[in-house]
Amino acid sequence: MNSVGSECGDLKKSYDDCFNKWFAEKFLKGDTREDGVCKEFFIKYQSCIKKSLKEQNINYEEIEKDVMGTTEEKQPPKTS
Amino acid sequence: MKIWTTEHVFNHPWETVVQAVWRKYPNPHKPEVLSTDIVDRKVEKGILYSTRFISSRWGLPGWAKKLIGSDGMCYAFENSEVDPVKQKMKMRTRNVSFANTVSMDERMEYKPDPNDASKTIVHQEMFIAVRGVPLTSYIENYLINYASNNSSKGKDAMEWIIKKIDVEVEELMHTYKRGTSELKTSIGKFQDTAKKSIGDISNLTKSNKTLPRI
Repeated sequence: MNSVGSECGDLKKSYDDCFNKWFAEKFLKGDTREDGVCKEFFIKYQSCIKKSLKEQNINYEEIEKDVMGTTEEKQPPKTS
Repeated sequence: MKIWTTEHVFNHPWETVVQAVWRKYPNPHKPEVLSTDIVDRKVEKGILYSTRFISSRWGLPGWAKKLIGSDGMCYAFENSEVDPVKQKMKMRTRNVSFANTVSMDERMEYKPDPNDASKTIVHQEMFIAVRGVPLTSYIENYLINYASNNSSKGKDAMEWIIKKIDVEVEELMHTYKRGTSELKTSIGKFQDTAKKSIGDISNLTKSNKTLPRI
């Protein structure tokens, strides 16, 4: 699948492949610890995406705030 | 405001269906989806929270595009939660493009069929509201029909990727079985060779032949 950032395709694939494997083999089987290797791919992928969105004038943080800033927004988990 | 709900049963277990959600695109049944990107993801108290940014190209007629101020591109955010213990996946997708005119809010929930663990039930709700332009009711009806057509394509899209995943799993099993069988054959050959060597040495000692001086 394409990324919204055309130059982020390879980074997206590396992250997605890592995540899909972790999701099927660990998370769904009860091991919900986040994978360190996938985290590294994620950081690189995210950095590329954010740069690309900026270049395309899609300020997703601002947009997400508008979408999420309603009473229906998921509340942060209560601290016990 | 128009609301539409539907329920569908997939003849696949929940674990397979939720994997398919992440791997759904690109998909020949949904060519209008141009890109999907995970923009946020974390695990909190054993639940996976993700936010996905999706861009797609509308198939709206020109007059509708003009009315709602769209150039045909539609950006949306999808927020989801996956609980592997309760076996529940919830998703909520909302448009950000032309959001001051049209509000589309789609909610989906995937759970195992309580009567058959090999099946998954998906419950889908769509809320559409149009405001600030003429013919709001007409556009809302149009969009609801668009959404319901998309829903059946969405199911086809899911079946397509699930089939792919099942084939991958089967191929992996064949590779594993072939590998195990090849390993057994190799071990068998090694054992035969070892037995023969031991037999040869044993014959040599029994026949009282002089062993070579070392």
